[in-house]
Amino acid sequence: MNDIIWLTMRRMRTPLMLMILVYSLSVFGMTQIPGLDEAGNVVQVGYLDAVYFIAILATTIGFGEIPTAFTHAQRLYVFIILFPNVIAWLYSIGTIISLFVDPQFRAVMARSRFSRRVRRMNGGFYIVCGFGHTGRMIVRGLLKRGISAAVIERNQDIIHGMSLDEEFAHLPALAGSVTDRRLLDMAGLCEDIKHCIGVLAITNKDHANLTIAITSKLLRPDLPVLARSETRRVAANMASFGTDLTVDPYTIFAQRFYLALMSPTKYLVQDWLISVPGTRLRKKMKPPMGRWILAGIGRFGSRLALKLDEAEMPYTVIDVHPDRIAERPDSVLGRGTEAKTLQQAGVEGAVGIIAGTGDDMDNLSIIMTALELNPDLFAVARQENPENDELFDASKADLVARRSLIVARRILAVATTPLLPVFNDHLVSQDDSFARTVERRLEDVLDGRSPSLWTLALTGVWVESIRAASRENVSIRLEHLSLNARTPTTENLPCVCLLLERGSSRIFLPGPSQELIEGDTLLFAGRGGARREMLFALTEPTALVSLATGRHQPRGAIMRRIARKRAS
Amino acid sequence: MNFEKVLFGFFIVLALTLNFGFFVGDIDNPEHHHAMELGAALAVSLIATIMKFGDRSQIGSVLLATSLVADLQLLIAAFTWGYAAYATEAGVTSDVLASIVSLSGGALLANLISVTLLVAETIMIRR
Repeated sequence: MNDIIWLTMRRMRTPLMLMILVYSLSVFGMTQIPGLDEAGNVVQVGYLDAVYFIAILATTIGFGEIPTAFTHAQRLYVFIILFPNVIAWLYSIGTIISLFVDPQFRAVMARSRFSRRVRRMNGGFYIVCGFGHTGRMIVRGLLKRGISAAVIERNQDIIHGMSLDEEFAHLPALAGSVTDRRLLDMAGLCEDIKHCIGVLAITNKDHANLTIAITSKLLRPDLPVLARSETRRVAANMASFGTDLTVDPYTIFAQRFYLALMSPTKYLVQDWLISVPGTRLRKKMKPPMGRWILAGIGRFGSRLALKLDEAEMPYTVIDVHPDRIAERPDSVLGRGTEAKTLQQAGVEGAVGIIAGTGDDMDNLSIIMTALELNPDLFAVARQENPENDELFDASKADLVARRSLIVARRILAVATTPLLPVFNDHLVSQDDSFARTVERRLEDVLDGRSPSLWTLALTGVWVESIRAASRENVSIRLEHLSLNARTPTTENLPCVCLLLERGSSRIFLPGPSQELIEGDTLLFAGRGGARREMLFALTEPTALVSLATGRHQPRGAIMRRIARKRAS
Repeated sequence: MNFEKVLFGFFIVLALTLNFGFFVGDIDNPEHHHAMELGAALAVSLIATIMKFGDRSQIGSVLLATSLVADLQLLIAAFTWGYAAYATEAGVTSDVLASIVSLSGGALLANLISVTLLVAETIMIRR
């Protein structure tokens, strides 16, 4: 705000001074020249009349009401002062208008509006740096779960587009350098902005993300920072100063690919839990065992090669860079887009192909050529540009590594349901029978659509009914919470409790008789309607007690006392 | 069957019907409005309010608010009646009666809202 006033004052100094000078001189002269009234008496023009007359003269409004008709001397005088006055006025107006269209002034205005809107936020929000495809997906997901965002983005056009988009128009957004400390301060790093709950550094420049992570860890060490990084060096660097999560899409994909190779069930369950709620559940997929072809061994390919080594799967590498080939014997030099190189690499005898070059069109071409040579191949493709979604969908690739989607999913999962990564880690470390149990229980409630996930912390307003129950000496168990409190017959809500966290202990897949106490945090997966019903039961003070005892619990104080007397 | 609901439903509907009975008729005609009916409506409305004490559910608190409004209106009406009848020389004139009946009309509206809420809650929770 101060900036705006200061800038306006500085720009308006000359025109205002000129205007005041011309104006006051004109008024003074006006009062000095005698006039005549109707009767022919000499009258002096008063100061009020003079000020009024010059004002309507300068602004070119020109009302005809003057106290008495002017004498020739007065007319001559007005004729002289007319032009300087009008020019001084237009000069001031022109300066003000040019100030409004001045890019510098507009930037200051936008910044102060952004800062005001951030300060006015009344719920938790993340600072989102970078609003490309990934940022858009993440913000959309955050909004769906009731978390807001303050966006900083380098590209002015994207910010303009945002203000036209109904979905994002209400969010504070600012175009500017994402690494600028002052902008980050304004977006919520400043100590006195209480509602900021974290920083998401998701630009597609690793170095910018690194700068953001360092800045926020230095200024607000308490805020979690989730950052995207595509090189191992930067990821290690970020982790070294305490960045809470670094997301490297290629490593994540390689890990998931490894999981799919080793345990399709685990892969499937994980896939259900991280896909967009409400989409069709994917079927089980089994990457074949045997020799693979790995086309392109850059950042993406090398991570997959590591995992193939770990899975003890043989593979043949194709790459255009001779130095990369030199390290690996039995490799083929070439792009992999031509049938010849693929045949050289033994495509007929292979079980799968991974198209992992940095070019989307090359990858599509590799897959199409390879499938023509060997239609039974299991095809994995790397997609860099989100605009090529349709092409890759049509390409018959069994598995597509979509960079921005992988980043968005992982960051959303950590930002909105922090317990999900915990559960996923457990799922990966357990044997297959655990995954099969989860699969079966999810399948029972899901109706073919991927689940919504929600975390329920039994604190604040959500613990009231648990307290009410303990006053009645009734203990609430998980089975009561997963019953529909509004139907006359007992009806289970379509959801599965994946994890219960109590202090430092964690119970995975807690049973129905698990007792709930204040301070527990639960992770549920199920249909969205189940969450609403569950929250209803928790806000209704007597609903859980009624469910637990099977008897209706009176709500009024008098009836409750009578019921208690009768019971005792 | 939920005994609490039966009892509360009984009182809140009875308050509405009694109040309605008092309200109908020419607004300033003393023959159309009986003091006893106003008294009964007030008593029943007070009981319905007390039954909602201690109910911390969402709808319970709104019901408490609406019946408090009805009580307030009826109390003022009853007080006006008593004051006019015993403390003024003119007694319950048609002017005074008109304001008493219009106050009870306001209470009637609050009673109606209570009953609507009760019905809404019954439909929402089928248990």
